Amino acid sequence: MAPLAFGLAYAGFLALALAMDRHHRDLLGGVPSRMGRLLFRGGGWMLLGLSIAPCCALWGPSFGAIAWCGLLTLAAFTLVSLTTYAPRAALLAAALLPALGLATWFRLS
Amino acid sequence: MKHGFRQCMAWLHTWAGLIPGWILFAVFLTGTAAYYRGEISAWTRPDLRMEDNGPEAAMLGLRELQRIAPDATGWLIGLPTSSDPLLRLYWRPPGERRFRDGILDPATGRVAEAGRTMGGEFFYRFHFELHMPPIWGRWLVGLCAMSMLVAIISGIITHRRIFADFFTFRPGKAGHRSWLDAHNLLAVLALPYHLMITYTGLLTLMLMYMPWGMQLAYKGDQQAFIAEALSIAPPPRPARQAAPLTDLAPLVAEALRRWPETGVRRIGISFPGDANATIVLGRGDRHELAIRRRELVFSGTTGELRLATGNDAPAVQTVGVAYGLHFARFELPFLHVLFFLSGLAGTAMVGTGLVMWVAKRAPKATERRHFGLRLVETLNLGTIFGLPIAMLGFFWANRLLPGMLDHRPDWEIRIFFALWLGAYLHAALRPGRRGWAEQAGIAALLGLLLPAVNAATTRHHLGVALPAGDWLMAGMDLGFLGFGLAFALAARRLWQGADRPVATRQGGHLRERGI
Amino acid sequence: MVSAAFRARMRGWRWPGLLSRIVAAVLGGYAIGALVSVACAVLLPLPRSEAVVIGMMLSFLAYAGVVLWVFAARTAWRAWAGLLAPGLLLAASWAGRPV
Repeated sequence: MAPLAFGLAYAGFLALALAMDRHHRDLLGGVPSRMGRLLFRGGGWMLLGLSIAPCCALWGPSFGAIAWCGLLTLAAFTLVSLTTYAPRAALLAAALLPALGLATWFRLS
Repeated sequence: MKHGFRQCMAWLHTWAGLIPGWILFAVFLTGTAAYYRGEISAWTRPDLRMEDNGPEAAMLGLRELQRIAPDATGWLIGLPTSSDPLLRLYWRPPGERRFRDGILDPATGRVAEAGRTMGGEFFYRFHFELHMPPIWGRWLVGLCAMSMLVAIISGIITHRRIFADFFTFRPGKAGHRSWLDAHNLLAVLALPYHLMITYTGLLTLMLMYMPWGMQLAYKGDQQAFIAEALSIAPPPRPARQAAPLTDLAPLVAEALRRWPETGVRRIGISFPGDANATIVLGRGDRHELAIRRRELVFSGTTGELRLATGNDAPAVQTVGVAYGLHFARFELPFLHVLFFLSGLAGTAMVGTGLVMWVAKRAPKATERRHFGLRLVETLNLGTIFGLPIAMLGFFWANRLLPGMLDHRPDWEIRIFFALWLGAYLHAALRPGRRGWAEQAGIAALLGLLLPAVNAATTRHHLGVALPAGDWLMAGMDLGFLGFGLAFALAARRLWQGADRPVATRQGGHLRERGI
Repeated sequence: MVSAAFRARMRGWRWPGLLSRIVAAVLGGYAIGALVSVACAVLLPLPRSEAVVIGMMLSFLAYAGVVLWVFAARTAWRAWAGLLAPGLLLAASWAGRPV
């Protein structure tokens, strides 16, 4: 379930980045509309919030919260490296990582 | 007014970060290594590993203590865990205050003679004592940690665009811009970790740093405070009357029945062979976050349970959680990796900050570099690449020094410091990018060849450990390879740009090491 | 680039002022931290081990706060004055403790 949490956190951060003009321009081109910005921002925070659930399910509340902080950091670093060196992969990863996480979860359960 | 306040905080951030910076870098890096202190200790003594931590292991330790220190006033047995798989023995000879220690060789049942080493303890102790007399080292590290706390808070205040720059990294930018980006990212993205580790680090030694409230409330009786806060049974007095020690195995079995998950970590025996002997079993601390002292106290002669100790009061509990976060002793491999990576991020944050100080002030090619700048540059290179070289050299020394060498642990440490000193000298003689490239190259060689040295000197190399699924030995070797590879990439990059002026150094190598 | 306010502030930062600030931050900060730990140990209506532990935990935050204040204050004199006031208050709470 750790890959799922990581994937959700990554997708969440990417959405938050897309709500910002500079990163939106670099990744998708153009600036987001007002509506799009709201959607990106809301979706991003929602995904980040969701990503704590697998952590707590896996490690319990106290270790889960710590693992969540660590995974958020790791996801944000991954996003920054990808957007800098492989922007196209950064977008692809947002779809692939949560899917991969879900797949490993189903395979294990 | 607001503007001025921020500038003041920026000034404070610069100097509170720079002046203790080199010590902080060393504290961070050796502390990060100390997350794998048990594993390092086992890697440095690969033939002494043991898995058993039940009654038989306890009896094995007890028999050896009875043989080597029958008249000791205290015995202590540290049972192995999967991340720290060594059986440690401690004994206090009569008339001495300090315990001596040794590690049991499971093959012979005796304290091991050959291949003595400090192992992971060296990095662990260096991390808060800097290999100085403890009182000096601990105060110095404490002051640096306080400075770090101030630097973190003033850094947050200074960093105006904390959210706008959250994902920003521009490696191609000239001058100090890309260093600033790297420093900001390493600081902001792992901010909860940095704050946590600095504050909880201060808390681990708070009784030494801030004893005044305790002095007043307990009239200077520190033992009374510790006994009350940790709810520890008062130490017994010897009856000076001989009586045989009770059988240990049923007591350990009783403890295992009470603590089926955590097991027993420590067995302490005060005044063995005396009528007032006591046996204290300490609970394992590898399965929960808070480090709390929980003990079962038995009579040493009858084996009757006298006391079960432990304090659940909220403030003491909070400190237990803080210690748990700082030491990260819990055996959850994935979480451990996250802590290790965060520690590297902290190390790299300090390192990028130090390098940035130079990059910001780098003069044009035609100007003279003044003494302060040269000094900082030398200290930077000698610390940022010199310390990893020294640490890798420590592992080389562990494998290559003859097993029966007198004072072998001291020789390992001498080699560590000799390499480190060499790195500072080299940094002073070879300023600029070429010096950085050369040291990165040396670190790369040391890291990449270490698994080969291990293969040549032990039977626990990758070719054996990987097929056997021995992740402790394999993980250490793979880790060395990984660091070697990162340094090799850094060296290549630094070498290619060696003709360019230093000021335009790119963010690559530290970032690769950091994350 | 550098604002007038900042430059005005830097004028008060010549060596004697800076040195005095460093002393105030390092030693004064420690003193305030120590007083906080003592005041908590004495005043908090809790079992004494709890009160002592809380005092120790808060003392480092107080220390950090003092350092920030000392370097944010407009003049070194103000920095010291800002230390004395809470210092006296904490010391008074200690002196007036129930015995």
